[in-house]
Amino acid sequence: MSWWVQLIACFVAALAFSALVHLPKKAYPITGLIATAGYGVFLLLNQSTMGYFFATLLIGISCEICARLLKHTATMFITSAIIPLVPGVGLYRTMRYLVEGDASMAVSTGTETVLGICGIALALTVSTVIFANLRSRKKKEMT
Amino acid sequence: MDNMAVTLDAICLASKIILESGGETYRAEETVERMCAGLHISRVDVLALPTGLMLTLDTEDHKSITRIVRVHNRATNLARIDLCNGISREVAEGKLSAEEALRRLEEIRKPRKNNPWFLIGASALSAGSFTIMLGGFWVDFIVSFFCGAAVQMALPLLEKRHVPGLLSSMIAGSLTTLLALIGASLLSGVQVEPIISGAIMPLLPGLATTNAIRDTIRGDLVSGGARFIEAILCAVMLAVGIGLMLSMWGGIPS
Repeated sequence: MSWWVQLIACFVAALAFSALVHLPKKAYPITGLIATAGYGVFLLLNQSTMGYFFATLLIGISCEICARLLKHTATMFITSAIIPLVPGVGLYRTMRYLVEGDASMAVSTGTETVLGICGIALALTVSTVIFANLRSRKKKEMT
Repeated sequence: MDNMAVTLDAICLASKIILESGGETYRAEETVERMCAGLHISRVDVLALPTGLMLTLDTEDHKSITRIVRVHNRATNLARIDLCNGISREVAEGKLSAEEALRRLEEIRKPRKNNPWFLIGASALSAGSFTIMLGGFWVDFIVSFFCGAAVQMALPLLEKRHVPGLLSSMIAGSLTTLLALIGASLLSGVQVEPIISGAIMPLLPGLATTNAIRDTIRGDLVSGGARFIEAILCAVMLAVGIGLMLSMWGGIPS
């Protein structure tokens, strides 16, 4: 499948997932767009570990901005926008190699998957810390 | 004193709904503090965990009241968290009385009759689209569509029988794999890999991971750690379910 079909599928999938986790209806298109943009960055960076990091950074920051603009919780947007990046393929491949008894391939795919998750976690940490600091500074100014 | 009971009920219910819907623990704590500020309670201490909440507050005549709220069932429902957040903000600004807040919170908590077909459709569509996104073709889309629908039909049944959440994610993984393998043996040209990986994407613990990170950053180490364990166990059980079915099926058609 060509890249644009994949991106459209990503948009549809994010919309459907938003419905599955009971997101408020007006948030569907926003999370869909953010998810698609994130997955686009991931594809551009050849689906590497750095790709996970930068794609999640984009998603995290845009979700935090949207949350502040629309006065909703950031978690709400992040949860469904991040889903396309979750390494489901890695999980499946690791399991398949394990079942086939190919230990070395299982270890290398498993490590890659865990590194991808670490990339996502690190990027989420960075984006959350940036915005948490912004908020605490504002609170101090007010008091 | 009667007024105090209503106030307490409203505060406890708001935080309980947030924890039950999978919200961050700091959000539950902030909600309690915010509502107390709006309802003129001078001093409150609160500790929230993913499985419960404790709070102590001082009344005007210098008596302490303590309540413990236990949270048993957790399910992802982001709209509920959002509604609760809105109500607690209104209380904090003094726009809403405790009675009114309690009434609206009870309204939120009422099990709404969600159309099950809507959820099944959403699950099926997201599984199918993820399959296309991961490089599947239209045949794979159809098989994955049915996998997603079957899982969403099975999960409420398991919940009704009080099957633990981790076990039901293992069953969901097995079910997906079984259907994908059956599909691959019936139809020609079906790729198993994009189907299974696409169909398990909606089942992976996205919210638990996000919350684990956010809780840990804010210094809520107990809740953060608990959620990390929840997320890891959920993913591992899903993988075990897939592996179990793959090995029971024998050869894997590539």
